[in-house]
Amino acid sequence: MLIASHLTRRFGDRVAVDDTSYTLEPGEILALLGPNGAGKTTTLRMLAGLISPSAGSVSVNGETMTPATAPRLRGHIGFLTEAPGLWDRLTVRQNLQVYARLHGLPKQAHAVDAVMEMFNITDRAGDLCAQLSKGLKQRVALARTLLHKPNIILLDEPTSGLDPASAREFRDLIVRLQDEQHSVLLSTHNLDEVERVATRVAVLRTRLIAVDTPAALHARLFGSRLRVELGQPAATFSATVAGPGVTDVAVIDNALSIAVDDPGDRAPAIVRRLVSAGADIRSVVPEERSLEEVYLKLLSEESDS
Amino acid sequence: MTRMLALLGKELADLRRNRALFYPALITGAASILIPFFVAVVVPYLAGERLADSGDFKMAVDMYRTQPLSRRLDPEGAIQAWVFQQFLLLLVLTPIAGAMSVAAYTVIGEKQARTLEPLLATPITTTELLVAKVLGSLIPACGLAIGSFAVYVLLVAIFAKAGVFLMLLSLRSVAIVFLLAPLAALAALQLAVCVSSRVNDVRSAQQIGALLILPLTGLLVAQLTGSVQLTGGLISAIAGGLAVVNIVLLAVGIRLFDREAILTQWK
Repeated sequence: MLIASHLTRRFGDRVAVDDTSYTLEPGEILALLGPNGAGKTTTLRMLAGLISPSAGSVSVNGETMTPATAPRLRGHIGFLTEAPGLWDRLTVRQNLQVYARLHGLPKQAHAVDAVMEMFNITDRAGDLCAQLSKGLKQRVALARTLLHKPNIILLDEPTSGLDPASAREFRDLIVRLQDEQHSVLLSTHNLDEVERVATRVAVLRTRLIAVDTPAALHARLFGSRLRVELGQPAATFSATVAGPGVTDVAVIDNALSIAVDDPGDRAPAIVRRLVSAGADIRSVVPEERSLEEVYLKLLSEESDS
Repeated sequence: MTRMLALLGKELADLRRNRALFYPALITGAASILIPFFVAVVVPYLAGERLADSGDFKMAVDMYRTQPLSRRLDPEGAIQAWVFQQFLLLLVLTPIAGAMSVAAYTVIGEKQARTLEPLLATPITTTELLVAKVLGSLIPACGLAIGSFAVYVLLVAIFAKAGVFLMLLSLRSVAIVFLLAPLAALAALQLAVCVSSRVNDVRSAQQIGALLILPLTGLLVAQLTGSVQLTGGLISAIAGGLAVVNIVLLAVGIRLFDREAILTQWK
């Protein structure tokens, strides 16, 4: 488990990260979102023990990160940096072997073989890293990140520049890590990726604007709404749906967008009222806004405040 | 220790595939070998004159006549031995040139290739990292200097007067190559590592080598003009001084290597 407590980092007069607190639980994928310069990379570097916070603290598996404990605690963390950072003149196997020794792994050759097998790069073991495609480099870098079996994994823009197939492989792998009870912190600009894999989302712009599940953020910002598609103009039925738990009704052509306190509980009664009034119902679905809308609204509200 | 050795192994493997870094040292080594041959063998041969006929080298003959090993040499052999010994100091420049080319690149190169951040994310300490970087430059550079010395002795054995090469195997000569040269190279590369921890440009780090090359060149000139005799005592004193300098530079290097500044201020 990783706990960031009132984490702050200043560079001279500039505050890069301001008083952020959150917990990364085992089996959780927390997506760190924010515009460029929001402090995401600085946050990851503090969590990885590469730079010290100006205030606040990082705790890894119950132990506080200090200059004295950082070298040892870094052994529990796998940090995938934004660039793969492989030694180009060394082969894939040599790169991994050096890191296996740096982490003091007991059966280094076995660990290297296992991680190459896991990432399907065994057939490229003897290739110089300079000869690899960007996707393969990223795969080797992730193999290096997981080589020492860390339980906390920090990923900085892991799918940036990858082709769709490689990005999908990567996402599958991140989900696999979650299944294996790793704690994953994912910093990215790819909101579609976040929607697919993240269990919680943290939005950062120097300070933490919000941290919650995507559904909770959506409900907090936009409320819960049902969308009812009808076979005729919807305006006729806008008054029909009024009742307990319904707070707002909007008409969009042949559809009604209905704000409710609890979509699951209120939907049957709304449907009954509409059918009684002669409505020809085509579909009833919870209305969902994209994460992009949630994210932009959070940033916009933060700017306004 | 394991982590230091891991990184040292990486440094050496990396260098094996980047031999161009050693071209400056190879050129310096070749020049250090060839210059005394021009003076002691080629020029007298082309001019058809013996060095022993010139009064300029009387000092060399007198000096070497007093040394037991040189007593069996004829005057020409004694002068050749003097020339080859004086120029031995040039071989000290070979590992410095080699170390400088590699060491200046060592931190800046990692940063430019963006390989430093994942490396710093491992449990490796600053001391382990710097020692590995320094040894990774020093070992091949000293190997090159020793190789150059072997070639030098071999060529002297082949082309100079009989017995002259034995003068190069004296304790004094061995001390220059095996003690002075590594210590000077170590100081040069530690300076380069210190500088490369603080600048973004490989050239800036390489220029620091002039700080050591200049006094060595001055020592060579002083020796040739007879102002200074590089005796065993003087070699020991210089070696002792360099050892102290190296210890201080290691401590300074560790203090100067600011992980945070390297990660957050370099672009």
